[in-house]
Amino acid sequence: MMGSTPTSLRRLVKNPLIVKDGLSRVRTWRAPAVIALYLAVLGLVVYLALTFQLAVFRGGFGFAQVGRNVFTAIAEVQLALVCLFGPAVAAGAVSGERERQTLDVLMVSSMTPWAIIWGKLVASVAFILLLITAALPVFATVFFLGGIDFEQFLISQLVTVTTALSIGAVSLFLSVLFQRTLASTVVAYGFTFAVTAGTWLVGTVLTQMAFAQAQISKGPIGPTGPTGPPGAHPLLLISPFHALSSALQNASGARLGLQPANVLLSPGGPAAGGTAFEPWLATVLFQLVLVGLGIFGAVWLLRGRRITLLQRSPAHRPALPPEIEHPTP
Amino acid sequence: MIAVEGLRKRFGHQVALQHLNFAVPQGEIFGFLGPNGAGKTTTIRILATLTSPDGGTATIGGIPVDRDAFRVRRLIGYMPDFFGVYDRLSTLEYLEFYADCHDVPPRRQRAVAHELLELVDLTARAGDQVDTLSRGMKQRLCLARALVHDPQVLLLDEPASGLDPRARIEMRELIRELRRMGKTILISSHIVPEVEELCTWIGVIDRGRMVEVGPKADVLRRAVGGRRLRIELANVEDQTLGAAQKWIAERGDVIAAEVVDNALELSVGEDFVKHRLLRDLVHAGFDVDSFTSVTGNLSDVFMRLTVSAAGDA
Repeated sequence: MMGSTPTSLRRLVKNPLIVKDGLSRVRTWRAPAVIALYLAVLGLVVYLALTFQLAVFRGGFGFAQVGRNVFTAIAEVQLALVCLFGPAVAAGAVSGERERQTLDVLMVSSMTPWAIIWGKLVASVAFILLLITAALPVFATVFFLGGIDFEQFLISQLVTVTTALSIGAVSLFLSVLFQRTLASTVVAYGFTFAVTAGTWLVGTVLTQMAFAQAQISKGPIGPTGPTGPPGAHPLLLISPFHALSSALQNASGARLGLQPANVLLSPGGPAAGGTAFEPWLATVLFQLVLVGLGIFGAVWLLRGRRITLLQRSPAHRPALPPEIEHPTP
Repeated sequence: MIAVEGLRKRFGHQVALQHLNFAVPQGEIFGFLGPNGAGKTTTIRILATLTSPDGGTATIGGIPVDRDAFRVRRLIGYMPDFFGVYDRLSTLEYLEFYADCHDVPPRRQRAVAHELLELVDLTARAGDQVDTLSRGMKQRLCLARALVHDPQVLLLDEPASGLDPRARIEMRELIRELRRMGKTILISSHIVPEVEELCTWIGVIDRGRMVEVGPKADVLRRAVGGRRLRIELANVEDQTLGAAQKWIAERGDVIAAEVVDNALELSVGEDFVKHRLLRDLVHAGFDVDSFTSVTGNLSDVFMRLTVSAAGDA
């Protein structure tokens, strides 16, 4: 069922769905409104975080620490916004085609299921990437305060982009799976919350419980403790929120000490003989696995005509109005 | 061009198609008639490679639809019984998008879109957004969309449903024009008079089985049980009609003559020479007002062949 290889490769970069969906999206008032709202929220976060940090650390720390904390704050908020907008733009990509009754016509064209899913994914994620790109000047402003090196900046963007990709791919899969956009959107938000904030919250609680348990049963923790600290819960390894805070607060060595999980997971990082996998690397790999599963699952569903849950046969279509069914000659 | 043999399809416990057989020669307009749920849309979706059959074969241009879907898709233009359109795209962009989806070379896409807009008489609306078009215009645009890759076969599912009389006539003329361009066209429809007027071949499907199929003239002839003539006289008094009936019945070349609605209807053989009877009638002193061949009525055929379904409903 696949088209010729040159055609398939050409569809990777020149895919009509990318152009069509892109045009349709930017021609509404919603696109500039979302970008404006997004930048406004990030700007507000910078202002509040900077004000708060300067008040708290007045005289105690230099601008580097302030810059690091503000940068971490806006990186986390940006990730939260990506989690907020991602399902909204991707979960209706295929179910929307079905609801507009354009999916069949698309399937009868020379577009392979691969090309359709790829075009839809790129078109959906492109808008999120536009948001991330639009926020770069905000990050650059904070970057000048110091405290964050370029590698940390790149890691933060990598974690955010791969999270956007995985949310897009999984939402797209759900969009093929469910007949209605409402259902796919609700499930996509549930999934996004579970693998981002949910893993962070649950992982942190479980780690804290293990931490407390270790304190109670084995005495003080840390390098001076009898058996060393208990490890962070594995759920934290796949949380992009944790990966961001860990990468941005740890790498330059000046930890705030607010998150024991960071301390416990990779003390000193690989260079210091700590855990081989930095949290951000584990998270990026996990997100890429989700991207692959999402894309392959969506293509599999589309190719096998297992188009929807609760799909009805053509014979079950609602009857046409009587005047159309039995027109008078 | 289209050949269907022993096609079967079930949806759960419901049988949609049972050993469906028919063929559509190249260049014909095939009218696919049947009541709701008879299996028309299922058949068209199988031919359009959107649904897999449970058994039997369906080929287009000799290519099995369930084995080489992508080659079949290059041969067919599919217009479903609904028109899905994208918001915020102009009619020109809409056609260019589908031309791209059908691998029309980029340098040809705009030209193809303009040619098709001209064909469906929408050139003046090239810059208008698709969702601002009337229903008839959208239907014509969807037909143009099915033509972007110049397919040899058109599968049109209810192309005139919901259209007003003017839009229906425009659609009919457009389909005739496409036949002149050499396309083979399969149309499913509920609108019997329209199929009768437009199509050259007829197929009637009932509960998943093809109950009548063939060239339109043959189907209509079979519907009236052979070749028939209708003769209306100037004087419709019983005596005159009776005398004419007796006079005609005595001729050896007429199978039967009967009075129907103040006129005579004759059953005659295939080799019967009509003008000789007309001349003899006039010479015998009967004033003939009208002398016509009786062709069957497709509505009657449809109702007779699908009555079982209605009765079971």
